[in-house]
Amino acid sequence: MAEVWIDPARCQGHARCFMLAPETFEIDDDGYGHVIAGREGSYDEENVRKAIRNCPERAIKVIGAEPAS
Amino acid sequence: MSDRTVPQDFDFHGKALDTIFDDYEAMLAEKPVGHSSKYGGFWYISKSDDIFEAEQDPDTWSVGPSMILPGFGTEMPLIPIDIDPPTHAGFRKLLLPMFTPMAINKLEPGMHATAEELAAEVKQAFEADGVVDVSHRFARPYPTIIFSRLAGYPEADWPMFDQWIDDIIYERTKSPETANKAGDDLVAYVQRLIDDGRAGTAQHGIMGDLLDAKVDGRPLTNDELISYGYLLFLAGLDTTAWAIRSSLWYLAGNLEAQRLLRAEPDRVPDAAEEFLRTLSPVQAMARTAKKDTTVRGQEIQAGERVVLVFGAGNRDPEVYDKPNDIDITRENNRHLAFGGGIHRCLGSNLGRKELVISLQHFLATIPEFELAEDEPWHGVGSLRIRLTGGE
Repeated sequence: MAEVWIDPARCQGHARCFMLAPETFEIDDDGYGHVIAGREGSYDEENVRKAIRNCPERAIKVIGAEPAS
Repeated sequence: MSDRTVPQDFDFHGKALDTIFDDYEAMLAEKPVGHSSKYGGFWYISKSDDIFEAEQDPDTWSVGPSMILPGFGTEMPLIPIDIDPPTHAGFRKLLLPMFTPMAINKLEPGMHATAEELAAEVKQAFEADGVVDVSHRFARPYPTIIFSRLAGYPEADWPMFDQWIDDIIYERTKSPETANKAGDDLVAYVQRLIDDGRAGTAQHGIMGDLLDAKVDGRPLTNDELISYGYLLFLAGLDTTAWAIRSSLWYLAGNLEAQRLLRAEPDRVPDAAEEFLRTLSPVQAMARTAKKDTTVRGQEIQAGERVVLVFGAGNRDPEVYDKPNDIDITRENNRHLAFGGGIHRCLGSNLGRKELVISLQHFLATIPEFELAEDEPWHGVGSLRIRLTGGE
């Protein structure tokens, strides 16, 4: 099953994912993005695709699926 | 296709910005890594992927002696933008919680109220006069008010701020003495805020938080506090004013875009990203090579200055369809307006929200408008508009 993932080594806290797909991503106290626990495999594909294409650090990946961009 | 070549003294400040998009087109097509004789000489890097790679590689590219080229009227390194790893992380971490989306959301009621008030004042000004300078009355005061509240600058001091910014940022390429004088005044002002904070007579705000903050288990030194204060001041006021002004500049020339965003204000966030991509206040930032390296076949030696031209990367045809078109409905917009990597703009959540909220209120309050005269797309100078009588 495809799962969405943020690479913590790349995320710099631009928070684009949180703006574009708040049902999937959350932001920690230092401003870094994370996938909400339990939402890795169930997400709005269109919103997540938009988050991927707008992440300046190219930090969001969908694993186990065709690359979205 | 432009038939221009990249000027041998390529510059990214002041008057050079009038025609810089032609320079970008020439560099991206003919010479994506090249040399300029300006500011003591530097290599420019213009392709989006090359800029991205450089920003991810602080081991090769130092931000010292300053990311800002030419410097901001002070010899001190600005914290944290002019600091390399490993020292950088601790300094940046102090600021991170102050600029998260949640921290910025707390400012939202004030952001709406102030945007509404300023837009109402613009509307009133139109009743008295057919032409209104909306840079002076809207784009500039808005971020000054919002950021000053956040930072804890006393309201009585705000009228001094715009002149300091004009002198430090915009005079420094023309009159370094003026910039240095204003820089000294600003340092003295930040020192006063620190002293008031220590005496317990300051307003609460970021400056107060920094007095309580620790790095590596120790409080910040006076010099470090000054450096933070200096940078936050310059980063927080002028950039957002430029972004609001350049967005209004575009809208004044494009009635269809105004109509669409008035009818569908939910589209303003995407439009704002497009304005940031194409008309951004930070067109480039500098680095210094820490070791000999090669970028796109061009050898660059240790110690040489390099400029990452975000504005060119944002118009890279390999990344964007019709890169020079401003398409306010563009959805894939991984632009470099806030930079990337460990030095990406910390205030991006604040700046984005200020831009979106201010544009929404402006469009909701001011009917269809157009430029009253030719004005440059860039800077924070005047933007005189008049109403068309439409809509």
